[in-house]
Amino acid sequence: MRHIVVIGLGKFGSAIAETLSNKEHEVMVIDRDEKRVEKLEPLVTQALVLDATDEDALRAAGMKDFDVAIVSVGEDTEASILITMLLKELGVKEVVTKATDQLHAKILKKVGCDRVVFPERDMGQRLAESLMSTKIFDYIELSSTHSLIEIDAPESLEGKTLKETELRSKYGVSAIAVKRKTPIIKEDGDTEFREVTIIAPSADEEIQKGDRLCLLGRNEDLEKLKTL
Amino acid sequence: MNEVEELVELAKFYFLNKNFEEAIKKYEEALKLSPKDGRIYYNLGIVYESMNIVDKAKQNFRLALELDDTLTGAQEHLDKLIGE
Repeated sequence: MRHIVVIGLGKFGSAIAETLSNKEHEVMVIDRDEKRVEKLEPLVTQALVLDATDEDALRAAGMKDFDVAIVSVGEDTEASILITMLLKELGVKEVVTKATDQLHAKILKKVGCDRVVFPERDMGQRLAESLMSTKIFDYIELSSTHSLIEIDAPESLEGKTLKETELRSKYGVSAIAVKRKTPIIKEDGDTEFREVTIIAPSADEEIQKGDRLCLLGRNEDLEKLKTL
Repeated sequence: MNEVEELVELAKFYFLNKNFEEAIKKYEEALKLSPKDGRIYYNLGIVYESMNIVDKAKQNFRLALELDDTLTGAQEHLDKLIGE
């Protein structure tokens, strides 16, 4: 279980908080607006009316104990930058902040933001899903029952061929692509890697360290993979 | 070739052979002898990114840039990992 705090309860923030609570995570929500906080209170672990630009108030709310903070304070660019900075200073491990444009994103990175999201690109629910597991990078819901996910190849599968992993026979999940990084040396002598995507890999394809797997399957079957 | 260069060469050899754990060890040994070398942090970041250990990769790219802001590769990788 991860401890997550959502700051700013507009549409985006509320959608994330709701999705995460449904998945039984410890979720705290914070907003200056009492009405917004009240609306989410029954759904989450804790709900606070608080000005998140106030450092002392944030500290008192125990920010240092959170694994992830999601900052979604609407169009108020200045507040979102300040809050992001404060959260990093207070020791939140991962701060994810909603940006309005590229300039905003650039400043957020400068103040230590771990991940910048654009709401039009990352829907609230999709971001929530990707936060469920630190291993899942991307998630696309194809229908209410089936999804496409991209995960780090679990260590237990390294060195096995796709057939040997029993992804399909045991878990009912199909590997539709393998993203592989091939180490190279650049002209200046530094290292780099080239990313190759093997589409529709054969059953004999061997999983290597650092591979990422794109998997297609029923939601409950994909869920089981997290225990691998 | 001095000791740091030898360790970095060895680390690159291990990296190219996908022996990431050994590559990390050698880069860390090199950093003990030459802690202000941004390039080593950059290359170490690349190893971590290859292993999908994003936190450590970001941390090393940031350190690389703090020590040497001309390392554009480190900035590009950091931007990609944080999300543009």
